[in-house]
Amino acid sequence: MDFRDGAHNLYHIIVAIGYFGLQLVWYFMQIIVSAWYHISIVGNMFESYFISYEVLNKYKSLHIGKLRYLAVVIESEEAHQMSKVINLLRWLDSVGVKNVCLYDMNGVLKKSKDTIFQIMKNAKSIEEVNEDVTHHAPDHMTLEFVSYVDGKEAVAKAANLIFVENFKRHDIGGELDHQILLESHLNQALQIVGCKGPEPDLLLVYGPVRSHLGFPPWRIRYTEIVHMGSLNFMRYGSLIKAIYNFTKVRHNYGT
Amino acid sequence: MTFLSCRFAIFCFKVASRRAAPSRSSSKRSSSSLSISWLSSPSRGTSVRKDDAPVSTGITASVPYVSRKGVSPVVECGVPMPAELREELMPKHVAVIMDGNRRWAKMRGLPPSEGHVALVPPLRMVVKLCLCWGIKVLTVFAFSTENLLRPKLEVDFLFSHFERTANSEIEAIMRERIKITVIGDTSKLPKSLQKTITIIEEKTKDNSRLHLIMAINYGGKYDIVQACKSVAKKVQDGIIHLEDINENIVEKELKTNCTELPYPDLLIRTSGELRVSNFLLWQLAYTEFFFHKKLWPDFGKDEFVEALKSFQQRQRRYGFLS
Repeated sequence: MDFRDGAHNLYHIIVAIGYFGLQLVWYFMQIIVSAWYHISIVGNMFESYFISYEVLNKYKSLHIGKLRYLAVVIESEEAHQMSKVINLLRWLDSVGVKNVCLYDMNGVLKKSKDTIFQIMKNAKSIEEVNEDVTHHAPDHMTLEFVSYVDGKEAVAKAANLIFVENFKRHDIGGELDHQILLESHLNQALQIVGCKGPEPDLLLVYGPVRSHLGFPPWRIRYTEIVHMGSLNFMRYGSLIKAIYNFTKVRHNYGT
Repeated sequence: MTFLSCRFAIFCFKVASRRAAPSRSSSKRSSSSLSISWLSSPSRGTSVRKDDAPVSTGITASVPYVSRKGVSPVVECGVPMPAELREELMPKHVAVIMDGNRRWAKMRGLPPSEGHVALVPPLRMVVKLCLCWGIKVLTVFAFSTENLLRPKLEVDFLFSHFERTANSEIEAIMRERIKITVIGDTSKLPKSLQKTITIIEEKTKDNSRLHLIMAINYGGKYDIVQACKSVAKKVQDGIIHLEDINENIVEKELKTNCTELPYPDLLIRTSGELRVSNFLLWQLAYTEFFFHKKLWPDFGKDEFVEALKSFQQRQRRYGFLS
């Protein structure tokens, strides 16, 4: 009996030690992974500062010509931080990015349009620029303000416009010409209903979610989408890095 | 080092307290999360779970998960859900852009056709995992409208490959009760492939375990245009009035309306490209993006789990003010 009790106790001790040991290993692995994660965050932060202070050579010259139109999506709550938005625009201007589309779902930036133009004296609204914005002389910034209503709702309005025009050209009850509705017609109709901006080459998302939050769907066919994190923690170095990485990308466009 | 010492001290305390109270039930989910959210950089998008417990982005320090019923979530297909994933936070609809097949073949000195052949095994794996882990809809971008501009030989091979694969997998599809729908401009596909698609859609229309939507000769703009054309037809037929046309009316005519869950919760794109490339443009407004560097033929279970884990740790606001 003593022997059996002793064996039983020994078994329990071994199991307990084994369990303890496995837990120990499990937690150490998590500590290592967490530590690695935080090291990489700190590393990114240092890299960002090095880029800002032009320590890293490869980021010193950006071939900004490839970036003809940039879109910035800001989560609506963060879009209220006007000083951050203005800072961002100043950074973009200093880097040479002259055509910027600002989007937030609820139209907060649209409402602050006047304030932004008062502060950014060299900026003009896309409505004021007659020529193709991607070809205008780079002496001023062109800003476009977009919200959710300029996306899906605009497509519905554009389609409606095409239908109305089409019905006018035919007798009531006559055959609707379905061929009238092609991509190019929708493009033209969207311009008429007020969606003038071209497809952005690069879309930067500031906010906690990695989603474009309803940016006009018609315009993001081949747009590079980069999540930048919260606007509260935006860094000049991260912006330069995102633009630099974009300039290095090769596009096949599906072919 | 101070941080690591604190973590170790907390761990020892927890183990000691657990040893002191052996009667606690071990079947409860012990979220022994050594929460370090106050240290994580918010610029990475620190996530908040639906129950508002903060977690550090990318790391979930939890013990192996046991479901609320006290039983491991091993489903009939025999692939248990990993400990780091939560059943209730699983996306309902996952979309995948299977990119990188040609590059994968080129890196190995193989012709592009080998890359397209290598497309199938990871797709099979993802389908199986969706079946096992309760994902209801899987939409895959197999062939875009722009891909038609590729060399004819490659395009013909792709179409014949789709056809061969569909015919060879039909038994497995029926056995697993997968519903197949093909979206895209199928009128431009070879007649034999069109016929195969019609047969497979008809045969699987009553299956309900997983809805696999294959986007073949599909484009996001094409989808919007064809939806508008359908709306125009309905206006002409008197079903809709011109003044009633709005985004909801257009939405109902999109090809993805073949499912009750037309909006993907998660989009995965492989090969490191950060674009949607004309895929589901309308439907991706609030979709979480997950871009992975691996080429599609190298995409495995670990990468899929990584995508799901990343999704589960993010806060989805759908654009509303919280």
